[in-house]
Amino acid sequence: MNRVTIELWLWLGNELGKDFESPSKMRSIKEEKVEEGTTIRQLLDNLASRYPPIAQKIFDIKEKKLFPHVVINYNERVISPYIVYDQILRDGDKITILPMYVGG
Amino acid sequence: MEIGGYLGEVLRVDLSSGKTSAEDLSRSFIEKWVGGVGFGARYLYEEVPAGVKWSDPENRLILTTGPLAGSGVYGAGTFNVASKGPLTNLAGCSQANGFFGAYLKFSGFDGIIFQGKASNLVYLLIKEGKAEIRDARHLAGKDVWETEDALRRELGVKEREVSVFGIGPAGEHGVLYSSIVGDRGHLAAHNGLGTIMGSKNLKAVVTYRGKRNFEIKNPELLKEKNEAMFEHAKGFGPFYQWGTGGGFSALYGIGCLPVKNYTTNIFPEHERMNGQYMRTHFEIRPKPCYMCRIAHVKEVTVTEGPYKGFVGEEPEYEQLAAWGPQISNTDLGAVVMLSYEVDRLGMDCNEASFTIGWVMECYEKGIFTKKDLDGLDMNWGNVEAVKTMLNKIAKREGIGDLLAQGVMRASRKIGGEAADRAIYTQKGCTPRSHDHRGGRWAELFDTCLTNTSTIESTWAGVHTQLVDLPTVSDPFSHEEMSTTNAKFSGIRQFDDCLGTCRIASTHPKLQLECLNAVTGWALTLEDAFTIGRRVINQLRVFNFRHGMKKEDERPSKRYGSIPVDGPAQGKNIMEKWDWMVENYYTLMGWDPKTGKPLPETLKKLGLEDLIKDL
Repeated sequence: MNRVTIELWLWLGNELGKDFESPSKMRSIKEEKVEEGTTIRQLLDNLASRYPPIAQKIFDIKEKKLFPHVVINYNERVISPYIVYDQILRDGDKITILPMYVGG
Repeated sequence: MEIGGYLGEVLRVDLSSGKTSAEDLSRSFIEKWVGGVGFGARYLYEEVPAGVKWSDPENRLILTTGPLAGSGVYGAGTFNVASKGPLTNLAGCSQANGFFGAYLKFSGFDGIIFQGKASNLVYLLIKEGKAEIRDARHLAGKDVWETEDALRRELGVKEREVSVFGIGPAGEHGVLYSSIVGDRGHLAAHNGLGTIMGSKNLKAVVTYRGKRNFEIKNPELLKEKNEAMFEHAKGFGPFYQWGTGGGFSALYGIGCLPVKNYTTNIFPEHERMNGQYMRTHFEIRPKPCYMCRIAHVKEVTVTEGPYKGFVGEEPEYEQLAAWGPQISNTDLGAVVMLSYEVDRLGMDCNEASFTIGWVMECYEKGIFTKKDLDGLDMNWGNVEAVKTMLNKIAKREGIGDLLAQGVMRASRKIGGEAADRAIYTQKGCTPRSHDHRGGRWAELFDTCLTNTSTIESTWAGVHTQLVDLPTVSDPFSHEEMSTTNAKFSGIRQFDDCLGTCRIASTHPKLQLECLNAVTGWALTLEDAFTIGRRVINQLRVFNFRHGMKKEDERPSKRYGSIPVDGPAQGKNIMEKWDWMVENYYTLMGWDPKTGKPLPETLKKLGLEDLIKDL
């Protein structure tokens, strides 16, 4: 089993419940154990099936893809969702899920 | 006027002769150009021929509203300003929210065209269809807030009886990035439109509130679609709850906050500098624009830190970034103070902040000494020195005279390695206060290729599905990004024709239905894109006629550089720049080698008369 960290920022982390720690108001964090060979897509699918807010705002279970207004950072780097999906998770990896913010 | 939403008249003000007159707008002109930036683009082309400099009295300052301003669409008090701008020497178009767009219509006009130059400082007063040019010499040197106060006092009116937009000391002294500021903190900021106002000796424009005096063709449909648009806007990103500052940390997360003049992308203090922190720690009071229920604009009292007790406008995202990470300031109260200061003086915070950040970097590297900077210690984060410097710029005192020219001109004048450290487009102005080298390549590209000096064809590469286009799935794909920008091009310029606020009118299709309800038209989304593209091509031909070249559509060395750390470390937009530009030109129907609109493109848009200019 590998341990990976999931971190959700801002309103994407709302209403997730006690499984997620909140070191600050804008971050919700959870450590997950995943089987060897698990991809990011599979991890997101699994999380979305367990946490309705993730299915509503982040990962479309039916289409098996991210909703359009979401960005994923993989180990602190912005990466194309196409690449992220096929990425096999390694022990110690960190996935940060951010809202794609329009305007500003 | 037979079309709903219009008065059918513009006010022409000749400041040289002191004469004012009303001119009819024809039905065909309205249908072709709609309003706002559309009217501005066409008038600018027709009345400012090649050879006219931005500072010539023959240049025009064109203030235009749109059919939705004052219609009851929430927050629709917006107007557009168009002119030949001083930073780019090309077209400049910028919008301001507040009340002015609605009040101007209630006073009888769809727009105002200023020409000539007054012999001394004046202001324009508009009430019930009549206009009067008045002496404003007693307002000389006053900041924009003092000007508003003084005018209300002398007219004996309450706060919302009039809308006032004017210039501060920066505009009077010819700072090239002066803005037009009004209604207590709304700005038409880009490309020095306030500088044009100052060059014409025009201190302010005042318009009375009046009453709605134009027809709305289908009020019931408008009510229904307006409510639907409000519900959409409420759920659209963080604006309703947290204002534009609500996205500050999200932008940090993708490497888009400008930190220390693009020398790093690390700024862990972002969590104490964002809209969420401000609205949960500072005292906030709503300050909505005309009939706005979204009310993303607030007034704020600082409750902690060295500026505790300071009262100002709540800084929006651009100000938070400009006076926070860009100058390495980590005190949110100081951001409120500096935002107030730059607005008070009447300057664009973006150009001001990229200029100040460049000075700070050059000071750190020893390119500037304390003596060069009139004794100011321009260390990173020294907010009091920044405040002093902003005042020197506004009055063009000492080093402020150089910095008043904007960062492109100032850095080229200093030359050497200082020139390589400045952030700007080759057209002459800075981007908005982002680091577009992060997950916003679409906006970097747009900022360089826009005809208006700000942005023209992006919505940050997302929300394209609202107009039935695919979203950008990879923000670092040269191909996908440049193609999506071209496909999306048009809808934003159409939006800027209408007199609405983008934050309160977030759904283009619902907005279009509101427009049809007001005017009685039956425009489709395709029509909207066509009108927007007509505006873009009109502005583009104006720019080519005024000397724009393909080589101008590039970032400066620093603006197009590769991030050295942070979420976008190593990403290189310039790797395929020339390919992207040619791809975009081709998809826009422009000559891929020169960027000039092709004759068939102009014909398709009903702009045959422009072919001769190219």
